[in-house]
Amino acid sequence: MTTPPLLEVRGLDVEFTTPDGGTLHAVRDVSFTLRRGETLAVVGESGSGKSTTALALLRMLPGTGRISGGTVRLDGEDLATAGEDRLRAVRGARIGMVFQDPMTALNPVLTVGRHLDEVLRAHGGTDKRARRARAVELLRLVGIPDPERRLDDHPHQFSGGQRQRVLIAMALAGEPDVLLADEPTTALDATVQDQILTLLGELTRTTGTALVLITHNMGVVARSCARVLVLYGGTVVEDGPTAEVLTRPRHPYTAGLLAAVPRLSAPSGTRLTGIPGTPPDLSLPLTGCAFAARCALAEDRCHTAAPPLADAGGTVRAACFPAAERAARAALAGPDEDTEPPAAPPVPARIDRPAPGRVVLTAESLSKTYGSRRRRFTALDGVSLTLAAGETLGIVGESGSGKSTLARVLAHAHPADGGRILLDGRDVTRPGRAELHAVRRRVQMVFQDPYASLNPRMTVGEIVAEPLRAFAIGAPGERADRVAELLRLVGLDPAAADRHPRSFSGGQRQRIGIARALAPEPDVLICDEPVSALDVSVQAQIVGLLTDLQRDLGLALVFIAHDLAVVRQVSHRIAVMHDGRIVETGGADELCEHPRDPYTRALLAAAPEPVPVRRVPEAVSA
Amino acid sequence: MTTHTPPARTKPAGTRTAPRRPRHAHRAALATARGRTGLALVGVVVLAGLLAPLLTGHGPTDQSGLSLAAPGTPGHPLGTDDLGRDLLARLLYGIRADLGIIAAAVPLGAALGCLLALAAAAHPVLDTVVQRTFDLILAFPGLILALAVTAILGPGRLPVILVIALAEIPVFGRLLRTGILVQRGREYVTAARVGGTSGGRILTRHILPNTADPLVVQIAVSLTVAVFVEGAMSFLGVGVRPPEPTLGAVLSQSMPYLAQAPHFAAGPLVTVTALVLGLSLAAEALNREIRR
Repeated sequence: MTTPPLLEVRGLDVEFTTPDGGTLHAVRDVSFTLRRGETLAVVGESGSGKSTTALALLRMLPGTGRISGGTVRLDGEDLATAGEDRLRAVRGARIGMVFQDPMTALNPVLTVGRHLDEVLRAHGGTDKRARRARAVELLRLVGIPDPERRLDDHPHQFSGGQRQRVLIAMALAGEPDVLLADEPTTALDATVQDQILTLLGELTRTTGTALVLITHNMGVVARSCARVLVLYGGTVVEDGPTAEVLTRPRHPYTAGLLAAVPRLSAPSGTRLTGIPGTPPDLSLPLTGCAFAARCALAEDRCHTAAPPLADAGGTVRAACFPAAERAARAALAGPDEDTEPPAAPPVPARIDRPAPGRVVLTAESLSKTYGSRRRRFTALDGVSLTLAAGETLGIVGESGSGKSTLARVLAHAHPADGGRILLDGRDVTRPGRAELHAVRRRVQMVFQDPYASLNPRMTVGEIVAEPLRAFAIGAPGERADRVAELLRLVGLDPAAADRHPRSFSGGQRQRIGIARALAPEPDVLICDEPVSALDVSVQAQIVGLLTDLQRDLGLALVFIAHDLAVVRQVSHRIAVMHDGRIVETGGADELCEHPRDPYTRALLAAAPEPVPVRRVPEAVSA
Repeated sequence: MTTHTPPARTKPAGTRTAPRRPRHAHRAALATARGRTGLALVGVVVLAGLLAPLLTGHGPTDQSGLSLAAPGTPGHPLGTDDLGRDLLARLLYGIRADLGIIAAAVPLGAALGCLLALAAAAHPVLDTVVQRTFDLILAFPGLILALAVTAILGPGRLPVILVIALAEIPVFGRLLRTGILVQRGREYVTAARVGGTSGGRILTRHILPNTADPLVVQIAVSLTVAVFVEGAMSFLGVGVRPPEPTLGAVLSQSMPYLAQAPHFAAGPLVTVTALVLGLSLAAEALNREIRR
């Protein structure tokens, strides 16, 4: 600990001006240090200020964002007040950046060679041949095969993972001391994410570059970083070695977040514990701890005074009054006394699920092809499945595997090209008008994007009442009561009926979508990635809601997701999709523990697992 | 004026931040400084046209012995034209004639364009037919179209209305067709379909309300264009038949006397500028509010 810090951030504050003139305090008093060669994860949910913090380091804040306080010292030089010339010299050369979406971060009309060449020229490479040689070297470094030839290819000729590799090569071109990676694997499939994280780990080891990895995924943190900084509501709540923080979280928020993360090792039917409530509104002034409103352990002082980031035992620092006191008591009592985490997460509960009943929905060798004669894309290729009442069938697959198409074909949103769909043994593959109406009443769907799947012009009441109206359920005068009942069923205040979707958060919107799907009292509910767009703490709430509804209403659920861990916990059976086919199907626990298909094994191996909190923590390795 | 900012609604606990857009986005847009200025300018011109008989004692075609009288002549505050007609009267009645034409032509063009767009959305074959019709109309430059229509129908009020309406049909038609195509691909439309909602109701309750915003902006823009088209046609002598005054006709008449009597041209120029500026400001205010 004698080397001076490479990057030192002290009391960083970032503000945005909202369109109606208010001030949004996105980052409050964030402090951390980064040493040479260190790997630091910045983890938090949406709105926690993690990306804003990263952008503020290079003063690349979008729109009305501005640093309103604090310092960012890189080798002693304050970047928060430096001139634009100095910043340009730092960007790329001292601090490189990798962005989230590799699909849009490369200019489609320039070759990959030109992209690299531009960066190298900006950093003083004058000899054209030397630049090209260096570009080849960089591509080889990030693991692109046959780099000499690939240099002249355009971005569309590369896969998503390869494009992310190119972006990493560009960030490394200036041989930076710090590599900032903002959600570098969020847009990628699990198997590709695994490769990119391995690459980043190797690069930091071999080049000595310090890595700041911004992510919402605890598994990614556990997999790739030595130290972790947990952000909540724009403030740092916990800072310490990854192994220590993930096994013995000191701050109640970190503990809650870890409990909410679905674990691949947990058996089917384990209930996830979400964090109740919603994140704080950053446009309001904050007094006290940002997490106090959702914290089960909050005391009076937590609401009135902001807890400082204090020593909370070991090398971990947490911004929590009770945690700091516990650490102080433990220090007095002796080094081995403090073994109890502050907010012991509840023991994972099993969901009592009734056994599945008779088969309601059967699909036989469904096929679906998109495109014209010249460019055909087979989305579904002979997919067969059965679904029983009260049963959850999980469907897992990476992007492009055909799982969303399957959902839409089953819900009769798209017609199938071939095969049969049977509902209670009756063929409903190509229903007539009246029959389609009858089928739709029994098969409903919950959509992936809670922002796009609700009409912004309608009130929540109108949205939920629409199926009632379409299927002529109840007298028009009684529908308002039914809407209120449905909203209560999904855990919303019936007063929500008069407001528009825009005044609700993502999780609340997803509840509205579920209420709408439940309105005609369906037998089958098809959920197409219902939790992919949500934060983990909210994801746990929605998954819990779906399983409760299934138990109470005897619904047959099709639960589609790309995250095997969530699927295992909610599903009775799992079907793994790859290239439009179901490659393996079986009981949820059986499939996860004894996978037979090589693709299933690859998926299981690639899923990053956070350190299991249930086990006794082993000796902490630095 | 009916513009007012919507009162801030109190939010029950448990909801997120304030709604990003107030309930009446259009009203809020017109309540901004830009919107208010625009509406005020348009309002003054419209009032002047509507109150023409009260604001002047002369008829637009009444002739007096004075020709080309200077502004400030007793009884003729803006002076008279070459034929001794009161310029204020001709200006005010000209505004009246202009507004009548625009108010008929733009909604007519918008309505026809929207109907064609709806037809195009109904069936792929109809879509091709409608699209090619729009291409055909757009292939003619505006003035050539104006001359062609006048050559067939003869000069007058109706050809001007038809020319403006015809020119606006593809503008509104394409805008609405694009909007429908974009909204139809949205997830909430799929959700409504799966929810059993009928095709007609999806169109009227889901798709159309979400395509309305750009159309509102376009109406304000089209009104501006219509002022120009009408003025240009009258100026070229293919518009409303003299002696009936329009802004373009008065301007055209003033051209030979521009050196001796510049005030002759000033009235219609200032009015057209005020009208176009007002409409543009209103359109811009609406556009900004909608883009947010």
